[in-house]
Amino acid sequence: MDPIERLIREKLMRDAQAKTRRHFIKDCAAGLGGLALGSIFLGCDPLRQKIEKQKITFSERDLNPLATLPPPYTPKVRSVIYLHMAGSPSQLEMFDYKPVLHTLNNQECPESLLQGKKFAFIKGTPRLLGPQAKFSQEGESGNWVSNYLPHFKKVIDEVAFLKAVHTDQFNHGPAQLFMHTGSPRLGRPSIGAWATYGLGSENQNLPGFVVLTSGGNTPDAGKSVWGSGFLPSVYQGVQCRSEGDPVLYIEDPKGLSRDLKKSTIEAINKINKEEYTKYADPEILARINQYEMAYRMQIAVPEVMNIENEPENIKEMYGVEPGKESFANNCLLARKLVEDGVRFVQLFDWGWDSHGTDHSTAVDLGLRNKCREIDRPITALLLDLKQRGLLDETLVVWGGEFGRTPMQENRGNKEMGFKGRDHHGDAFTMWMAGGGVKKGACYGKTDDIGFLGIEGQVSVHDVHATILHLLGFNHEEFTFEFQGRNFRLTDVEGVVIKDILA
Amino acid sequence: MDILKQFLGRLHPLLVHLPIGFIILGLLLLWYDRKKQTFKTIIALIFFWAGICSLVTCVTGYLQYRGEGYAFDTVKWHLWLGIVTTLFCFLMYFRIAEKQFLQLLKQFPIALFSVLMLLLISFTGHLGGDITHGKGYLIEPFPNSVKSFFGYEIFVEKPIALTEESWETSQFYEDVVHPVLNNKCVSCHNPKKSKGGLKLHTLEDILSGGENGEVIAPNNAEESPLYGRLILPMDDEDHMPPKEKTQLTKEEIAIIKTWISHGNPSETSIGQLGLPKDLFLSFFPQKENYFYPDTTVVAAHTDSIRAIKEFGIHVQQISNSSNLLSVSCINKPSFANDDFEIFNPIKQHIVVLDLGGTQINDGIFEKLTSLPHLTTLKLDNTSITGNGISRLSQLEHLKLINLTHSNFQSSFIPVLSGFKKLEKVFLYKTKASQLPEKNPNQDSLILDFGDYALPKIAQDSIIY
Repeated sequence: MDPIERLIREKLMRDAQAKTRRHFIKDCAAGLGGLALGSIFLGCDPLRQKIEKQKITFSERDLNPLATLPPPYTPKVRSVIYLHMAGSPSQLEMFDYKPVLHTLNNQECPESLLQGKKFAFIKGTPRLLGPQAKFSQEGESGNWVSNYLPHFKKVIDEVAFLKAVHTDQFNHGPAQLFMHTGSPRLGRPSIGAWATYGLGSENQNLPGFVVLTSGGNTPDAGKSVWGSGFLPSVYQGVQCRSEGDPVLYIEDPKGLSRDLKKSTIEAINKINKEEYTKYADPEILARINQYEMAYRMQIAVPEVMNIENEPENIKEMYGVEPGKESFANNCLLARKLVEDGVRFVQLFDWGWDSHGTDHSTAVDLGLRNKCREIDRPITALLLDLKQRGLLDETLVVWGGEFGRTPMQENRGNKEMGFKGRDHHGDAFTMWMAGGGVKKGACYGKTDDIGFLGIEGQVSVHDVHATILHLLGFNHEEFTFEFQGRNFRLTDVEGVVIKDILA
Repeated sequence: MDILKQFLGRLHPLLVHLPIGFIILGLLLLWYDRKKQTFKTIIALIFFWAGICSLVTCVTGYLQYRGEGYAFDTVKWHLWLGIVTTLFCFLMYFRIAEKQFLQLLKQFPIALFSVLMLLLISFTGHLGGDITHGKGYLIEPFPNSVKSFFGYEIFVEKPIALTEESWETSQFYEDVVHPVLNNKCVSCHNPKKSKGGLKLHTLEDILSGGENGEVIAPNNAEESPLYGRLILPMDDEDHMPPKEKTQLTKEEIAIIKTWISHGNPSETSIGQLGLPKDLFLSFFPQKENYFYPDTTVVAAHTDSIRAIKEFGIHVQQISNSSNLLSVSCINKPSFANDDFEIFNPIKQHIVVLDLGGTQINDGIFEKLTSLPHLTTLKLDNTSITGNGISRLSQLEHLKLINLTHSNFQSSFIPVLSGFKKLEKVFLYKTKASQLPEKNPNQDSLILDFGDYALPKIAQDSIIY
C-alpha cells in the first residue's frame, strides 16, 4: 500500500478511536449549528471528502482482525493453555514441602510474622498448620510432589516449578484480575487477549482465544479475566460451555437453511462495510468478522468441542465424563483446540478456596477431592500433548490467583471445625511446561514454613513477561496506545524468568 | 494571507535552484568567454537575473524561516550569506557591465570576483542543505576516517564483552562502567563537546565534575548526579541522557549505581569487589540458540505470498526480523501433492511446513527435497506410509518430523537415523512400533511412539 495512503488511513482510524462521548457533547454546542451549515454547503468537511474520494484499501488485519501477524522475535511456542485453579490451591499440600512446618504444627504463630500483614479472615494469633499431605521426590529432577497428586509424578520431569511467586492482592476478584490482566482493577486486556491481538489465529474457523470453566462456578472476578479491556473486543476470550451446545444458539433455528443464513450474513456485512467507509470505526470491521466467523463456527465448533468421538483409551486417560461439565473434559478439549490451531485456551476450575469452613474446603478432605479431579486430567493433557508433538509448541501454565497461609484459618478468632488455610499472596507455587521451558527445573525457595519467598522470588508481572517472551514478544515493547499513553501487560514491571527457560 | 506566506515560504527550496543555475551559467560563460570577450552583455544580464532571482529567493527563504518555526540560530548563517550572495550578484552585474558609477570595482580582476562568487554560492547552498536534510547528511556515507579528517565527530561504540570465564577477572571500571558511559553519555560529554562542562570519557574527568560541581558523591549513588539524573522521570528537565537520546538500560543503570556505591573503584576487578553475577548477566554474549537455520534469505515477494494466501494456505514469517516462513495447510484440508507447485517462489524460505490432515501421499517426499531450509515437518493425519522418506536425508536442517496418525511403516524407521540434524520423530498412532534392537542413533534421535496411558489406581475412586 502507498505509505501516504496508509498514513491517512491510520490517522482516520485514530481519530475515530479517539472520539469519545465527551467529544461528542462538547461538539454538540457548536457542532449542531455547523452540521446544519455543513449540509447547506454539502460536504465541506475536508476529511469526509477524502474518505469518499480515496479508495480505501484494506490490509489483511482490517478485514480480519484475527489474521495472523508474525511475532517480533522467534517464538518458542505457538499456543498457550492456562490452567487456573480459581480460589487458589494450597501449595503447602501440593508442591511446596515444608517438614519444619510439620514439627511446628499447632504452635502459635509468632507475632513478628504477623506484623504489618493483612489477611482476609485470620484474626488475632493463629496457629501454624503442618502439611496435611505426604510428600515425595519424584522423577529424575527429584522435585517434590504430594500424595494428593499420585498421577502427576509421571510428568514431573516435564514441568518447571516457580516456588516463590508473589502477588500483592489477597482477595479473589482483584487477585484473579491481576493474574490475568496485570492489574487488580477492571479495564485491562487479559493475557489471552494480548496474545490474540499480537499474533492473531491460524485457524480461520475457530476463535483465537477460548475459555472453558468447570467446578460449578465461574471465577469471582467475572468475565473480565478473559476480557479484551481497551483492545478491540474481537480479541476477548470466547467462553464455550462444556455441557450442551458449546456456544449458546449455535444451531440454526428449524427451517432456516444454511444458504439463507449465508445470504443474510452477506447482506448484513455489505451494509456494515458501507458504514465502515463512512465512519472508519474499526469496531465495524470486528463486527463484520464476528458474523463471518460465527457462520463458520457453526460447523467447526461443534466438531472440535465434541469429545464423544475420541478413542476410548484417550477418554480413559483423561477420565472424561461426556455430557457433563468437568475439568477432565475441558483438558481434553484444550488439547483438541490447540491441535486445531487455537492460540490461547484458558481453563478455570472453581472450588479451590480451602478455608476449612466446611468439609469441601478442608485441606485434608475437600482439597483432596479437588486434587483428584485435576490430577489425572492434567497428567493426561501433558502426556497427550507430548505424544502428538504438541508439547514442544505449546506452553502449559498452572496456578491459582495466590497461595494459602501456613497458619490454620481462625475465622472470627475462633477455632474452626475443619482444617483450612487463609489467602496468602506472599509466596505460592506455579508451574509451566512445554516449549522453551526448562524441563524439571525448580526455581525459587520459600522459608521453612512457606510464609515468604527467600530465593528466586518472582512477581505476577514476571510470569506475564515470561509467557510473552515464549510467544515471541519483548513485554516492554509490546504496547497498545490508549487514552494518550502506551499500555503494557506488565505495566512498568516484569522481568523474564530466564532460570526456567530452556 | 498567512496561508499565502506559508505557501510562498515553501517554494524556497524550489526557487533556490534558479539563482544557483544562473550563477553557475554566468561563471561558466565568463570562463568560456575569457579571451574573446564577446558575450559580455549577455553575461551581465545573466548576473542581473541571478540577482533578481536571489532577491526573490531571499524573501521566500525569510518567509519559510518565519512560517515553519525555525530558530534564528539554525538559519542565521544561511540567511546572512544568502543576502550577501544576492548583493554580490548585483556587484558582479555592475562589474561586468562596467557601470560608470562604480569605477572602483575595475581595480579588481574579474577572476577574483568569480572565485568569490563560487565560494559564496557553494557555502550558502550547503548551509541550506544542512537545514533541510540535517547536519552531516552529505558526509554520512563516508567511512569514519574520512569523517574525522573533515572534523566531524565520530562515535565508536565500545562493546561490553564479559564471558563465563572472564567476568570475574574483568576490570569493573575499564571493561564495564567505561563502555557504558562511552556508549550512552560520551557523545555529549567529551573534550570537544562538554555539555554542562562535564566530560565523561576518562575517570579523572568524571571525578572533576562539571560546572554544577562534582557528579559523584563518594559511596553514595543516591546523592550522585551521575546516577541520580539517570533515574529522574523522563520528562524532568534534568533527566539524562536527554529524552531524544538513547537511554541506558535497567542493567546499565544498575552498573553505574553499583560502581558509585562501591566507591567508584578504578583498578579493581569484578571478582575482587565480590559483585554478584546477576548484575552482569545481560552483558554476557547472548546465547542465541538458533532452532531455525541461521541463514538470511531475501524476503519473498509480497505478490507470491498473497497468491499462496489466496489459495487458502497460511503463510507467515517466523518472526518480524526474519524472512524465513512458516507455512500451514490448517485451513486447506484439500491440499494434495500437485498443489505443491504453489510453493515454488518460497522454497528457500520455508522452515516450518504443516501438511497435517491433507490429501498428500508418499509422492510428497520427492517434492519436499526442494525445501533446503525445512526444519519442522508435519505430516500427521495423512495417508503417507513413509515410502521415499529416505530422500529427506538431504535436508540438512530437518529437526522435527510429526508422523502421528499416518500409515507410516516400521520398515522405514532405520533410514531416519541417517538424517543429520533430526532430533525428534513423533510416531504415535502409526503402523510403526518400537524396534526390538536399539536404535543406533538413540542418543540424539528421539522416536516418540506415544500411546501413554495412566493406569487406574485405587486413589482414583476414593472420595474424601
